Amino acid sequence: MGNFFSSMFDRLWGVNREMRILILGLDGAGKTTILYRLQIGEVVTTKPTIGFNVETLVYKNLKLNVWDLGGQTSIRPYWRCYYSNTAAVIFVVDSTDRDRMPTAAHELHLMLREDELQDAALLVFANKQDQPAALSASEVSRELNLVELKDRSWSIVASSATNGDGISEGLDWLIDVVREEQM
Amino acid sequence: MEKMLKKFIQNATRVAPKISKKGELFELRNGLVSQYPQTRKDAIKKTIQQMTLGKDVSSLFPDILKNIATSDVEQKKLVYLYVMNYAETHPELCILAVNTFVSDAQDTNPLIRCMAIRTMSMIRVDKILEYVEIPLRKTLQDDNPYVRKTAVICVAKLFALNKELCQELGVLEDLISALEDSNPMVVANAIAALSDIYEADESVVPLPKLIQSHVSQFLLALNECTEWARIIILGALAEYTAKDSLEAQEIIDRVTPHLQHVNAAVVLASIKVVIKNLPQVQANTESPIFSKLSSALVSLMSTPPEMQYVALRNIRIVLEKYPHILSRELRIFYVKFNDPLYVKLEKIDTLVRLVDPSNLKQCTLLLAELKEYAMEFEPEFVSRAILALSQLGVKYSEPKFITKVLEIIIELCNTRDSFQDDCLVAMCNLLRHAGPDQEGMVTQVCSLAEAWSSVENLLQTDYAKCNYIWLLGQFPQKFNNVERKLQASIDSFTQEESLTQMSLLISVVKLHSILPGSMLQNLLELATTSTDEVDVRDMAIMYWRCLSVESSHDGLINELCNSSLPEIATTLDTFSPELLETLLRELSLLSSVYFKPVSTMTKPKSSSGNHLKGKQLDELQFMAQDEILKNMNEDNLLDFDNDWPAASNSNYKSEAQGSTVDYLNDIFGLSSPAPPVENSMADLSLNKKDEKQKSSNTQDLLDLF
Ligand SMILES: Nc1nc2c(ncn2[C@@H]2O[C@H](COP(=O)(O)OP(=O)(O)OP(=O)(O)O)[C@@H](O)[C@H]2O)c(=O)[nH]1
Ligand SMILES: [Mg+2]
Repeated sequence: MGNFFSSMFDRLWGVNREMRILILGLDGAGKTTILYRLQIGEVVTTKPTIGFNVETLVYKNLKLNVWDLGGQTSIRPYWRCYYSNTAAVIFVVDSTDRDRMPTAAHELHLMLREDELQDAALLVFANKQDQPAALSASEVSRELNLVELKDRSWSIVASSATNGDGISEGLDWLIDVVREEQM
Repeated sequence: MEKMLKKFIQNATRVAPKISKKGELFELRNGLVSQYPQTRKDAIKKTIQQMTLGKDVSSLFPDILKNIATSDVEQKKLVYLYVMNYAETHPELCILAVNTFVSDAQDTNPLIRCMAIRTMSMIRVDKILEYVEIPLRKTLQDDNPYVRKTAVICVAKLFALNKELCQELGVLEDLISALEDSNPMVVANAIAALSDIYEADESVVPLPKLIQSHVSQFLLALNECTEWARIIILGALAEYTAKDSLEAQEIIDRVTPHLQHVNAAVVLASIKVVIKNLPQVQANTESPIFSKLSSALVSLMSTPPEMQYVALRNIRIVLEKYPHILSRELRIFYVKFNDPLYVKLEKIDTLVRLVDPSNLKQCTLLLAELKEYAMEFEPEFVSRAILALSQLGVKYSEPKFITKVLEIIIELCNTRDSFQDDCLVAMCNLLRHAGPDQEGMVTQVCSLAEAWSSVENLLQTDYAKCNYIWLLGQFPQKFNNVERKLQASIDSFTQEESLTQMSLLISVVKLHSILPGSMLQNLLELATTSTDEVDVRDMAIMYWRCLSVESSHDGLINELCNSSLPEIATTLDTFSPELLETLLRELSLLSSVYFKPVSTMTKPKSSSGNHLKGKQLDELQFMAQDEILKNMNEDNLLDFDNDWPAASNSNYKSEAQGSTVDYLNDIFGLSSPAPPVENSMADLSLNKKDEKQKSSNTQDLLDLF
């Protein structure tokens, strides 16, 4: 019974409420690296994610429930299991991976068509900008056909998970949008 | 702004977790993906609650799985519990848990490390096993003994699920080095795991060598492990031959305390180990170990009937090796009125076997007891009791005692309807043992049989008819009109079964000098042309030959007809020495119930079971998509009932139930007609019953004449 009242209290006052954010993108894009840079502020060594990582972090007084899903072809079909109640999606692109830009674009638009994500804000990280061969943010934006997006708050930010460039900038934007949407 | 207001109101009013029209599963799913941690946890608890009530909540799998990554240990436990339960119905979704399993196996909390490795090696999903290597290696080397103890068991589990992978990873070597672990519980579990693996495949671990080099560890481990691990270790020890009498004595001493365990399986396994080592220590029958074995066997008789049955079958084997072991415990095996029939029958068998034939008082007691059984109502039980009476008479062997037994049987024959078959067989067995000199007995039996008006209708079984005809052939002077009696049987020759046919043939040949020649001629013709029984035909042809050369070799046929019979020494069946040794080594196994060595039973294919296990990735993907789509459409339990996983589940269950029933029927012979108890004990010996039916019939007959 105690639990029941405490969860009722939580709901009434919006205390302890968590904002769900998904980090998606093809394998090797840098999702896990970004998640842990957000969480502990460091670069961790990663292995391909078979399944997911989830971390709760407080950013600007907002409790975020950040889900980093594996990007391998075999795991992508399960992304949709995680769509419900999602406030925002962070889509990470490896800007050096020119060959797979069309695949990334395809997966992105496929995901955005889902009913459950109609209200979700979108932040794209054009990641790995520290690499010389990286495409610029606007080039990535064109490859991904972002201008086509209607009725959605979205933004693209050039980033590097390894040296931290652009990460907080992107997240600041996202939090502002989400806070407004949620009230 | 309007949108924001709407959301606020929505959130505020959805406070109470009321059950909506959409149903429970829908509510649970909403709770599981809630933005509020406490609500999620509540929903997990409710889901587990439903699961333990037996409701199928497997469709919540993906949503439950989302809650596996948490720092809340209680919540993690619940999710693991759920995942273990339903992994097999959702193998494709399990892959989503891999990352969490792997990181949990490195958690700072040893409990979580255990949980992760245990779950990973238990789930029958190939895709998961692919990732088990690193966590398994790490936990095998863990600082915490609790974790190591869990990890060594996981090696055996992995072996059972995927032998090749287990060998590839080389964790079997880790398992062997765990025998040197500083913690006795780890050693115990490692031994249990090794024994388990050895049982599945003897070629992968050199268990006998390991036991030899670690005997004391093995023996010490018995005190440190769970009872199931203990059974496994004892099983391994029973396979091991001690290098000298000292070691054998040490093994016996260490195992003896476990003879008093409450778990009957532990007791039987301990008995097996002790018996294995007894020959090497040359214990005499007075040695205290025998009284310990005896009280262990007796303790098994205070278990539920199913286990008593298993115990009795095992006792039967032990008694053959050590006939005196239970001779002071006769009363324990007396039949109780509420014993199930299958226990009653086994008990009677045991009673006759364990009674000491040099102890008149005991034999007299048992005689009185058996007489009471023969007055009961269950026909099978009564038949068995009558047979036991004759077995007891033969076993005690003294003429006065046999006379007493015979009187009881004659009385039963006269007072109880429909047991004439059993009584006749029992009486004939007694006569065969007592020999023809016992005029009095012969007269008693023959005048009883003489008084029967229509024997053809009275006697039902082949075996009883065969005995009746034997009586005619053996003691013709005791009957009036033997010729007419035999003629009646010849008239129905073609309808009779093989024992009766054979018996008739032998009796008529034996009496050919006092019977009309046409009768003999007629029977020989019938027996060579109108029967399918090869033995009968061969015998008839042989006699015919003998008779046709009679003029020149007059002595031959007379010799055949007048030779005196050997006395039968026992009517209890025995195992061959090799079979007995094998069965003693396999006490407490299924083979001890069937009296068939494990090697003669076909082993089921090792990788049976989960049909989902070996699915290809693309197939799994397809299933996953299917599954997710379906889950989206199911909103309540009613819909859910029509859903395929549920349906296939219930199919599976009913199949499983069916097979359990079959299995039980097999054990207790319920579905198939039970072997007729009134047959001689030799016929009951299970090992040759089926294949050798024919030849054993002949053997019986040769014994008869
Ligand atoms: N140079 C450079 N390397 C990066 C950057 N971000 C990630 N990486 C590297 O890219 C590799 C893959 O990074 P992950 O974070 O594991 O990629 P992921 O998206 O989680 O991959 P999956 O889990 O397979 O979906 C790692 O070796 C990272 O060190 C970046 O900004 N610059
Ligand atoms: Mg990753």
